[in-house]
Amino acid sequence: MQNREGVVADGEKESAVSIPVSEFDDWAKFADDDIMQQQSAFHAEEAKKVPFVGDKEPLTMLAAEYESGSPILLEKIKLLGQQYAAIRRTRGDGNCFFRSFMFSYLEYVLESQDHAEVDRIKGNVEECRKTLQSLGYADFTFEDFFALFLEQLDSVLQGNEDSISQDELIIRSRDQSISDYVVMFFRFVTSGEIRKRSEFFEPFILGLTNATVEQFCKSSVEPMGEESDHVHITALSDALGVPIRVVYLDRSSCDNGGVSVNHHDFVPTSGGHSNATSGSTEPVSPFITLLYRPGHYDILYPK
Amino acid sequence: MATVNGYQGNTPVATSTGTKQPAPTAKTVDSQSVLKRLQSELMALMMSGDSGISAFPEEDNIFCWKGTITGSKDTVFEGTEYRLSLAFPNDYPFKPPKVKFETGCFHPNVDVYGNICLDILQDKWSSAYDVRTILLSIQSLLGEPNISSPLNTQAAQLWSNQEEYRKMVEKLYKAPNA
Repeated sequence: MQNREGVVADGEKESAVSIPVSEFDDWAKFADDDIMQQQSAFHAEEAKKVPFVGDKEPLTMLAAEYESGSPILLEKIKLLGQQYAAIRRTRGDGNCFFRSFMFSYLEYVLESQDHAEVDRIKGNVEECRKTLQSLGYADFTFEDFFALFLEQLDSVLQGNEDSISQDELIIRSRDQSISDYVVMFFRFVTSGEIRKRSEFFEPFILGLTNATVEQFCKSSVEPMGEESDHVHITALSDALGVPIRVVYLDRSSCDNGGVSVNHHDFVPTSGGHSNATSGSTEPVSPFITLLYRPGHYDILYPK
Repeated sequence: MATVNGYQGNTPVATSTGTKQPAPTAKTVDSQSVLKRLQSELMALMMSGDSGISAFPEEDNIFCWKGTITGSKDTVFEGTEYRLSLAFPNDYPFKPPKVKFETGCFHPNVDVYGNICLDILQDKWSSAYDVRTILLSIQSLLGEPNISSPLNTQAAQLWSNQEEYRKMVEKLYKAPNA
């Protein structure tokens, strides 16, 4: 690992072993900065491969990826092709679920011009704001993130001075100063929902880690780059009242050897209910569909 | 502050420690919002009236603050006061401030140069933290060190003997100048 920016002038690493009073003013920064540089170097590598949000690609591109891979996966991709037309990849930087959700949701509003949906979600966003306040978050810690999301929401509705095109939406989603702010907005919303309903989420969290609900939120929800699990998806879907379909592409197969593609719908029922009280028989059609491959989410487009 | 290399777009890139320059303007979220955020934090901190912590920007640079924390009651640090420096990067609050002890602190997770090993200042940082919660976290770190990954092994070894530890704290402590 090369030192950059002259973080350590001399590189006398061995002096870190004892606890000397030495003239190497910066050696101890070495460890942390080194790790962080390593991480940012890793992210930089990732960045070269995939932008935050990629271009829409036909599903055949996915099959090409597994050409010499598992026959189960190829079979599943073939099945996927019956229902889905395209995929849009997101960067695998730990924020892929939130980033996929962001783009998919804003793109839906842009295409549908569904004003009622925008009004509805704004009501939920207000609730989320109150939730954070009641949990003791200082306003200034989250208000910029809320404001930026609401700004994006308004701009995908056409007919305003600030309205944006699909191309502009893609540009913004690839612009770190916007994209990361919206991701962070979702992280706040998710964390607030989990903590507000900590009794509901606690058993799920205990199944994942040994942490308390609050520790989980502080270490696995709020920091950027922490990957999302069912808990995150459930909480975000409930908090914003947006149903989400997740299609699973993994190597599992049925007992009888048959292959089918599983999916799970995260459905917040209206009227203040939530995924907690599922079992609703009403059919819903989520307008956000994500493709899950172990460790990563991308956006799927139905035919 | 580690550099975030390789990002595209017009986000300012922090390049070194103790950044003095405000960020060049980005499209929507620019240095103004960092400035605004830091001003809000300052206001909130002054209004909060927390005992045992305080912080204020240096003369003319709101990106560099000096803070103080006092050792909590019933810990070996009771009666001591420590001065810290906080240097905020241009992409704060996405990236944590660089926080260091300016007053020498004999503690398992603080090295002789004042660097602190605390997860929320590194990989577990999030924008939900602020100056107040950082200082409170460091204050509680004093009494509840993480012995398993010490920066100061001598302090870590001594921790189990609280009586001896207290003596060491008293011996090494130099009160910050007012």
